[in-house]
Amino acid sequence: MSNTADHADSHSSLVVDNKKLLMWLFLGSDCMFFGTLISTHLIYRKLYPDSFEPTTLFSLELTSFSTFILLMSSFLMALAVSAMHKGQLKSFRRNTLGVIFFGLIFLGCQVYEFAHFVHEDLTLQTNTFGSTFYMMTGTHGVHVAIGIFWLICMYFYSHTGKMDAHESAVDVEVAGLYWHFVDIVWIVIFTAVYLVEFIPEI
Amino acid sequence: MAHIEENPLPVAADTGPLNSETAKYHTFVNLALALAAITGVELVLVYIPFHPVFILSVLLALSLFKFIAVIAWFMHLIYDKLLLTLAFGTGMAIATGTFVALGFLMSPSNVDFEAITQF
Repeated sequence: MSNTADHADSHSSLVVDNKKLLMWLFLGSDCMFFGTLISTHLIYRKLYPDSFEPTTLFSLELTSFSTFILLMSSFLMALAVSAMHKGQLKSFRRNTLGVIFFGLIFLGCQVYEFAHFVHEDLTLQTNTFGSTFYMMTGTHGVHVAIGIFWLICMYFYSHTGKMDAHESAVDVEVAGLYWHFVDIVWIVIFTAVYLVEFIPEI
Repeated sequence: MAHIEENPLPVAADTGPLNSETAKYHTFVNLALALAAITGVELVLVYIPFHPVFILSVLLALSLFKFIAVIAWFMHLIYDKLLLTLAFGTGMAIATGTFVALGFLMSPSNVDFEAITQF
C-alpha cells in the first residue's frame, strides 16, 4: 500500500491536470485572438491618424478607475483560489462575491463609456477607429461578462453542498486563470489604446 | 496508528500547503499594492511634460511588468509546471509575431490608400 501511495505521489507530482492544461491552451489561443484585435486597432490608428481624435472623448480617470477595479478583482480571485486550496469555503464565497461585484463595476464603467461615446456620435459605423475600438473593447467586455457568469454559477454551486473544498480547488483555479487573463488583456489595452493617445507627438 | 506515529509525513503534508498558501497571501497583497501604485504612476506619467519617447518607453515597461507579474504570481505560473508556461508562451509568441509582422506589412509606405478608397 505504501509503495502504491508513493507511486501515486510521484505520479501526481509529474502530471499536469487536464483542466488546467486545457485552460492554458485556450488562453494561449485567446492571446492570438486579442493580439489580432489590438494589432488591427493600432495599425488603423497608424494608417489613418487624422480620422478621429480620441483624447476629446476618452476619460483617463474613468479608465484608470476601471483598471484599478479589475486589478483588485484579480487580487480577490487569487485569494478565492488560495482559500479553496486551504479548504475554506466561506472565505472562497466571500472573495468570489467580491470578484463578481468588482467585475460588475467594471462592466458598468464600460457600458457608461460606450453610451457616452455613442452619444458623441462615435459608433461602429462612424470610422475605422470606432469599428476597431468597439470590436476590441466589446470583445473584452464579453469575456468579462462570461467570467462573471461563470463565477456566479460557481458561487451558487458552492451552496448546494456538492462542492468538495479540496476536489473543487482545480475547478476554481481554472476559473481564476480565465479571470486573470481578462485582467492582463485589459492591462495591454489600457496602455496601448488609452494611455498612448495622451502622449503628445506619438 | 503505528504507521502514523512512525511516519510524520502525513502531518507535514497537511501543513505544508497551508504554510505555502499563507506565504502566497502576503505575496498577493504586496503585488496588489504594487499594481495599484503602478496604475497611478501610469496615469500621472502621461500628463508630465517629459520626452514622448521616454514616456512611451516607461509606459511599455510598466505595462510589461504588470502583465508578467499577474501571469507569474496571480496565475501561479511560477509555481506550476513548465509545460503550462510553454502552452501559454506559444500563443503569446504567435500573437507577438503577428503584431510585429502586421506592423511591418501595413506600414503607411506599404499601403495603397487610393486602392482602398476606390474599394
